[in-house]
Amino acid sequence: MNRKRIYWWGERAVLVLVSCIVLFPILWMFLTAFKRPKDAYSLSLDFSPTLSNFVTVFSDPWNLGDMVLNSAIVASVTVLIAVPCASLAAYSFSRFRVRGRKFLFFLILSTQFIPAVVIVLPFFLMFRTLGLLDTRIALIVVNLAIVTPFVIWMIKGFIDAIPTDSEEAAMIDGASRLRVIKDIVLPMAAPGILTSSIFCFILTWNEFLFALILTRRDAVTLPVGLVSFRTERGDLWELMSAAGVMITVPIFIMALLIQKHFTRGMTAGAVK
Amino acid sequence: MAEVQLVDVEKRYGDFLAVTRQNLTIKDGEFLVLLGPSGCGKTTTMRMIAGLEEITAGNLLFAGERVNDKAPKDRDIAMVFQNYGLYPHMTVADNIGYPLKLRGVDRKTRTARVQETAEKVELGALLKRRPSELSGGQRQRVALARAIVRTPKIFLMDEPLSNLDAKLRVTMRAELKHLHHELGVTTVYVTHDQMEAMTLAHRVAVMREGRIVQLDTPKNIYSEPADLFVASFIGSPPMNLIDGRISGGRFEAPGVSLPVEATDRDKVVMGIRPEDLELTDPASAPISGRVYALELTGDSTLVTLREQGSSICARGPADFEAAINTSCGLAPKPGARTHLFDKDSGQRIDA
Repeated sequence: MNRKRIYWWGERAVLVLVSCIVLFPILWMFLTAFKRPKDAYSLSLDFSPTLSNFVTVFSDPWNLGDMVLNSAIVASVTVLIAVPCASLAAYSFSRFRVRGRKFLFFLILSTQFIPAVVIVLPFFLMFRTLGLLDTRIALIVVNLAIVTPFVIWMIKGFIDAIPTDSEEAAMIDGASRLRVIKDIVLPMAAPGILTSSIFCFILTWNEFLFALILTRRDAVTLPVGLVSFRTERGDLWELMSAAGVMITVPIFIMALLIQKHFTRGMTAGAVK
Repeated sequence: MAEVQLVDVEKRYGDFLAVTRQNLTIKDGEFLVLLGPSGCGKTTTMRMIAGLEEITAGNLLFAGERVNDKAPKDRDIAMVFQNYGLYPHMTVADNIGYPLKLRGVDRKTRTARVQETAEKVELGALLKRRPSELSGGQRQRVALARAIVRTPKIFLMDEPLSNLDAKLRVTMRAELKHLHHELGVTTVYVTHDQMEAMTLAHRVAVMREGRIVQLDTPKNIYSEPADLFVASFIGSPPMNLIDGRISGGRFEAPGVSLPVEATDRDKVVMGIRPEDLELTDPASAPISGRVYALELTGDSTLVTLREQGSSICARGPADFEAAINTSCGLAPKPGARTHLFDKDSGQRIDA
């Protein structure tokens, strides 16, 4: 009994400690975002909060608004293209017994093994040749290449978990393969697809390396924009934190959405 | 309604032969049961008829027309799956109405037909529910209603009752039988339960290792099993199978000596059903042994005797009582059938 108690408290203590380690920098960032420059380096929690940092980052010369827009467009378009394509691909990988299927799937996954740094230069040269440097299109293309294999793999997991009985029943009831996907598979896989979409959005939203190399002025995204707060005058921590909050908040909201949908199973009741 | 013909139909998975050159004609309006242990190819055969499994070789004909290459949706069939295969995100009404929706039936007609069909399987009050809110039996009814909401050419049923509890299974069995009588649609029914096969079928095809070993009426399959496999598979409790030999017009085995009409030979298996045996005085009985177990089933008592490691079961009167290990005798009832099989080939030996 006593031993059990000790374990219980020990477990809680470790959890709290780890949470603190993880959450402290984030908390600090949020606090700094509301501090005046003179307070930025002080460890005191006694400061008068201000919104002026947010006003500053959204105005010249920082123009964070443009970066928010770039990030939002790049991430949204990437999701809108990647998820439908990946869903169909995932369905095929899950259901069709095609020769070479396993090898093909391995090939798709293998794209994830390549370190981004290795291919960033070829991408740079390619987009320079195409005249697409510093455009959102270039970022969308690159992000699609990075994200789609991952999303295929994720969605396949969800589709694998759907029993084929319902699909076969629908085919016998008179549905074509595409109709089956639309009427049966998509509604049943919806929570999984939604989760994958949000993951896809987060990956793209936070993507740094390619955006850094492929953009200069017009298509700069938020993570790259953060770097611009390191100036000759030193690091502008309060501004960087304000921008950091702008990056983090949408992802927080999405993470909450994921949690809600992640746990909800849609396949209940299909079979015995 | 249509006649279904399988001509030399074969199914291979790589090197594995799942169904071997199947030839089978299912008559128009017939209730045919494919019966066999798991892995015998019965479900594969049905799935080929449904179009869910490609046919490796041979022809499948519906009313004389070759349908090998037709998609399931174009075959005009309905199927009830073992695990029901319901659409969990749709209500019961939408589940039942889905085949009609796919055929472009307008909403009003659809609602009426769904209501009518639901009444037939006693689901009328549950139309707004989702499958997850139903019991197993109710889910099975939804699957059934979805199959009968339109009149297909052929019904396919893949172990539809195997997930139900014993009591419900009996009720649903009767309902299925009545339904078939009412609709008269050609039906193929897959099961491993010999009781279902016997009660439902016009004809039973007993399958083993990808082949049909016997195709006949339930009555004939019961009274004249073609080989040892069928003999042991049909009947509950199963037929007694006794290893022995025939000499001098008698079947001889440890504790058994019975006159038979067959020429002398070794390696013979005699089959006799428990219900064809009666208890007699041990002194003069053709079959004798010691009582091993008594099982009261309600209307009768199953008496198991053991003699030198082999056991024989007989169905005796409900009030029969004997102590374990006492001697006991059995004799075939007057007019009872005994069956003789060749031990090596398993084939029936006809007198």
